[in-house]
Amino acid sequence: MSLSVRKIVISGILGAIAILLGVTRLGFIPVPTPAGHATIMHIPVILGGVLEGPVVGLITGAIFGLFSFLQPGAPFFADPLVSIFPRLFIGVISYLVYYLSKRAIDLVSRPISSTSSKESGTLSRSNGSKYKLNMILPCLLAGAFGSATNTVLVLGMATWRGYLPPEVSISIGVLHGLPELILAAILTVVLVQGIQRVRPTEE
Amino acid sequence: MELTKNITLGVYLPGKSKIHNLDPRTKILAVTLIIILLLLSRSYVAFAFSAIFIGALVIISGIPAGYALRGLKPMLPVLVIMWFFQLFLFKSPGATVYFNWWIFEATAAGLHMGNLIILRVLFLFIVTTFLTLTTSVVNLTDGLESLLKPLRMIGLPSQELVMTLVIALRFVLILAEELEKIMKAQMARGVAFDRGNFIQKTKKIFPVFLPLFIGAFKRAEELIVAMDARSYTGGKGRTKMKTLQMSNADFSAAAIMLIYSGIIITTIIFTPPMI
Repeated sequence: MSLSVRKIVISGILGAIAILLGVTRLGFIPVPTPAGHATIMHIPVILGGVLEGPVVGLITGAIFGLFSFLQPGAPFFADPLVSIFPRLFIGVISYLVYYLSKRAIDLVSRPISSTSSKESGTLSRSNGSKYKLNMILPCLLAGAFGSATNTVLVLGMATWRGYLPPEVSISIGVLHGLPELILAAILTVVLVQGIQRVRPTEE
Repeated sequence: MELTKNITLGVYLPGKSKIHNLDPRTKILAVTLIIILLLLSRSYVAFAFSAIFIGALVIISGIPAGYALRGLKPMLPVLVIMWFFQLFLFKSPGATVYFNWWIFEATAAGLHMGNLIILRVLFLFIVTTFLTLTTSVVNLTDGLESLLKPLRMIGLPSQELVMTLVIALRFVLILAEELEKIMKAQMARGVAFDRGNFIQKTKKIFPVFLPLFIGAFKRAEELIVAMDARSYTGGKGRTKMKTLQMSNADFSAAAIMLIYSGIIITTIIFTPPMI
């Protein structure tokens, strides 16, 4: 198995953004909860999965995890089972959700568009509502599921390893997990749309 | 508004100390060993020995201690919050209770758990920063590539993965500068990042994130073209202009590491754990 230059570079740069968001504390958004912040450090990992596939998602997740293990933002991250292991799944799950929901929307919307877009042909792709739905919904879902993966697995591992009592985990999960999930979903949509414009070709 | 000032990870401080001159493989292996020992340590005595050892390393390397610790600054408030968090919420039956108020209960177990976790975080931070401060990126790449080569046999593209990690480390500073520019540009347009309630603050992420990510992807595309143009291939048949060579200093370093591990393992076995 070998990696293409494209996969190496994109994973590296997305990993750099994840690290940057950590060291500058920019990836932490102050929310009025006891622990004080929600994280969006996992956004680069979700983007890696959505834009470049599961391999880039996995590697970016590993870099993000490695960084949060070596320079922990919260003490229980000093355990690799809490910091690295759960992060491997964020990008992969984001990719799967993105891919599957895209396929599902294509399948569902085909009968409608095939009758309505007969005359307009390929043009319907760029101005119909199907195009928008097809672009936005998978990103929204991928962002939400990617973020949920991070929340559930990290808190699950932290509880299982005995760093947090279950009731604290659940309250952190709700208080932090939900705003993180909403923010991740919106940011994924916005960022994917923006990045698509500077990428050379889209197949 | 000086983002780059507090970033010490991935920064290399050139020097001529004994530690700078060690083979990168020796340093990487030593740091890995120190990290494993830190994760195994559960007693104050073990941490005291580690503190002396790591302190000695920093002094020998000639890196200003203040500089090595600078990256910790943005993390401090979080560490303090997490310490209190452990103190009040970590419970174990039968532990001494210091005081009790509503649902909060400060116990001896919580105190030690807090201390243990904070010590681990501090040491992990210092050790990894120390590695990148004393090892140039080129050396770090060569060392990691050479150490991870055996993974190729089980089909893992180890060299490519090392290259990814190195690109990540390298780009942290470059992107930090870019981020600083973006934030200053947006501030010049009237965005007040430190004002507003949390919803308003959250909204201000968008004018920063979008240019940051788009700029990063533009750089990525350029780097891909540059690497392709030079026919980069990570794995098989790649040779080095400078090959790594172990010297006597590396063997003495290995001996010192053996003694250190011996001491730490003995203290782990024979001294009482914190909790």
